[in-house]
Amino acid sequence: MLHYDFEWSVLWRYPYGGMFIQGIWTTVHLSLFSWMIAILLGLTVCLCRMTPLRAARFLGGAYVELFRNIPLLVQLFFWYFAAPSLLPRELELWLYGNVKDLGYLVAVIALGTYTAARVSEAIRSGLLAVPRGQYRAAHSTGLSGGQTYRHVVLPYALRISWPLLTTEFLTCFKNSALAMTIGVLETTGTAAYVDSFTFHGLETTTAASCVYLATSGAVILTMSRIEKRMRIPGLIRRGYN
Amino acid sequence: MIQIRQVSLWYRDGRKVVDNVSAEIRRGQTVVICGPSGSGKSSLLRCINGLERFQEGEILVDGISVSSPSTDLHALRAEIGMVFQHFELYPHMTVLDNITLAPRKVRKKTRQEAETKAMELLNRVGIPDKAAVYPGELSGGQQQRVAIARSLAMEPKAMLFDEPTSALDPEMIKEVLDVMVDLARSGMTMVVVSHEMGFAREVADEVIFMDAGRFIEKKATASFFASAENPRTREFLSRILT
Ligand SMILES: Nc1ncnc2c1ncn2[C@@H]1O[C@H](COP(=O)(O)OP(=O)(O)O)[C@@H](O)[C@H]1O
Ligand SMILES: [Mg+2]
Repeated sequence: MLHYDFEWSVLWRYPYGGMFIQGIWTTVHLSLFSWMIAILLGLTVCLCRMTPLRAARFLGGAYVELFRNIPLLVQLFFWYFAAPSLLPRELELWLYGNVKDLGYLVAVIALGTYTAARVSEAIRSGLLAVPRGQYRAAHSTGLSGGQTYRHVVLPYALRISWPLLTTEFLTCFKNSALAMTIGVLETTGTAAYVDSFTFHGLETTTAASCVYLATSGAVILTMSRIEKRMRIPGLIRRGYN
Repeated sequence: MIQIRQVSLWYRDGRKVVDNVSAEIRRGQTVVICGPSGSGKSSLLRCINGLERFQEGEILVDGISVSSPSTDLHALRAEIGMVFQHFELYPHMTVLDNITLAPRKVRKKTRQEAETKAMELLNRVGIPDKAAVYPGELSGGQQQRVAIARSLAMEPKAMLFDEPTSALDPEMIKEVLDVMVDLARSGMTMVVVSHEMGFAREVADEVIFMDAGRFIEKKATASFFASAENPRTREFLSRILT
């Protein structure tokens, strides 16, 4: 039979209960900060790709291909182990000596810049799906380029990008688990940490899984509710010119 | 009102899509342009309000050159309405917002002023009860009438129509043409790309047959139908008039 004694109390017993709370909270703000970077940087990169400026388009394209085609784990290791040694010696020492949570900082940056490449693509596909006729109609009434974007193109594109952005946010949230590999005690890291003291990995990883499932579920519900509210009867995708 | 002088246009591949065409549309006139698909009708129409850049020639609207670098294109476009084959209403806005957007943002009208005017126009095009509805909930004919109202809301000096009834089911064509006939009779200057020869007969001052970027036939309406000279025009007419 099963040679395993369940002991669910490791999830709330002192001191582990506090660790789990701490870990879940870390997962939440780690993924939210990364997401903020991803949205701002992703939008910037996307706009770069859409400008008539050739150099900007090239840089934007290069960014996307570089960041989304290297495994996130490799990027994390690069930022954590390799990047600091590229800095001047004094700065590197200062970094290790004074930044208490270097792993956390690196995780936010790595996850943010990686997700930005994917967010950029999600926004771009929305913008590209807006028919040319919409621009023409807006311009023909005398609206300026900025007004056309603000009132016609972006609201249209956002509705198309919305499901993709939801997926990207969930991926970002789940990817935050990789931060444990550089010593960040977020949910997954905490589960492994508590297991190393108690040998109750089955309980801790089950708990971690439930945390991810529940949070994802809540996010999906919220986003699809917003999506429904934004949904417009008859918004269809067309490709003529 | 609109002067088109020896205009030529080509896209990247270098093939001339509009080839050295000239025309003059006087205030209050209606000109109908017909011709086979791909002959450059839409491209020419878009040149008139500067949606498309042309390489040669000149277009003047009310004496102002469309292609001159010193022309404020946004201001010029605000004076010229345009109606599209596929309506191009903004799907995420109600009918009322579709109509009031440009008057509010470009003419800086208050919402109240813009909405009063919009309701007046919806009355005029015969759908005053659809103000709060989204475009996707309307029939094609109703959408096109909203699109006409959206253009008229800017109180344009001239209107361009690009095959306004080609995407409509037959029973809806008339409701749109009726609005256009009224508009033409009220003295609007209109350039209409259309194959509705009944409409042309009724209100056009001049009819142009365009093929491969050129004006093949360009005549006052009565003589266009009575005595089109070019065999290609006659063949085209016989095909669409049956
Ligand atoms: N934006 C564009 N870029 C490149 N080619 C175009 C563009 N718009 C139209 N064309 C080409 O120009 C030709 C004329 O098109 P168009 O003006 O739409 O003709 P029509 O309205 O008479 O059907 C067609 O061969 C079409 O493929
Ligand atoms: Mg056309």
